[in-house]
Amino acid sequence: MRLSGENTKKLCGARRLSLNALLKRAGVSKTAYYHLIDKESVLPRSIDALAAALGVRPSALLEESDRESRRALRLLEAADRIAGSDPSMDRDNVRHTLLLLEEKPIDRLRRSLLRARKPDLHQ
Amino acid sequence: MPENLIFTNKEIGFLRELKRQKVEFMLVGAAAAALQGAPVVTQDVDLWFKDLKDPGIQTALRKSSGIMVPSFGQNPPTFAGDAVKLFDIVLTMHGLMGFDEEIKNSFDVRLGSVNVRILELDRIIKSKETVRRPKDLLILPVLRDTLKTLRHKKTRRTPARTKRGR
Repeated sequence: MRLSGENTKKLCGARRLSLNALLKRAGVSKTAYYHLIDKESVLPRSIDALAAALGVRPSALLEESDRESRRALRLLEAADRIAGSDPSMDRDNVRHTLLLLEEKPIDRLRRSLLRARKPDLHQ
Repeated sequence: MPENLIFTNKEIGFLRELKRQKVEFMLVGAAAAALQGAPVVTQDVDLWFKDLKDPGIQTALRKSSGIMVPSFGQNPPTFAGDAVKLFDIVLTMHGLMGFDEEIKNSFDVRLGSVNVRILELDRIIKSKETVRRPKDLLILPVLRDTLKTLRHKKTRRTPARTKRGR
C-alpha cells in the first residue's frame, strides 16, 4: 500500500486546498510527506508479510479504526461543501437532509410524524 | 432509527388496499417532502386523489375499518378510523396544475411493502409558495435547502429513485 501523491492532490483540489496548505493544516512537514511518497509501502512490513502469507492484498486485513466518526466527518464535509456553494443555504438544513437521505424513506416519514407529536419539541 | 410505533402496517395496509382497488392518488405536502429527505415535521400524511368519488376509496376504507366523514361547513371531508386517521384528504393543490398533469411530476417510493407515488419536492414548494399560510412560510426555507441539496447530490451521482411517469 503506497501513499498516492496523485490522490492526495485530487482531494486537495476538491477542497480548494494547495498541497502546502494541506501539509500546514495537518502539521506534516514536506520532508515527512515526500519521504512517505517515496516509500514502496507505508504499512509495517509485518502487515505486508501477513497479507502475502494469506495471498490477499494488505487492504483486506485493514479496517477503519473509527468508522462511525469517519462517516460523520464525511457527512459534515459534504454539508460544508454544499452549503458553501450557496450562501443562502442553511448549513444545518443541509446536514439534516444528508442525514435523512441515509435512512429509508419510511423511516424519514416516521421521524417527521413522531417529532410532530413530541410536546417538548420547542422547549 | 425512529420508533416504529407510528405509520405502521395499518396505514401501509390502507395504502396497499387503495392501490389494489386501482385508486389514483399520490402523497403530497410536508409528508411527501419528508419522504424526500426534508427535515420537517408533520402531523399528517396528505393524500391527493384524482377522484374522491372513486368507489375504490370506499372499498379500501371498509377493508381498513375506516370511514370517510363528509365535508360540512368549512371542513373538508376527512377519514376516521385507527388505520386511516393519519391521512388527510387533499382535493386541490393550489398553484399547481390538475391531478392528471401533476402525476407526471411524481415518482414511486417504497413504503414498507408498497410502492406509492409522491409529488416531487419542487412542485410541493411551488404549491406552498402559492398558499403562503404561516406554516408554509416557516417550512419553505427548509424545503428549498433540501431541494438544492438533492440537486447537488444528483449532479454527483445517479439518484436511487427511478420509475418516472406512469
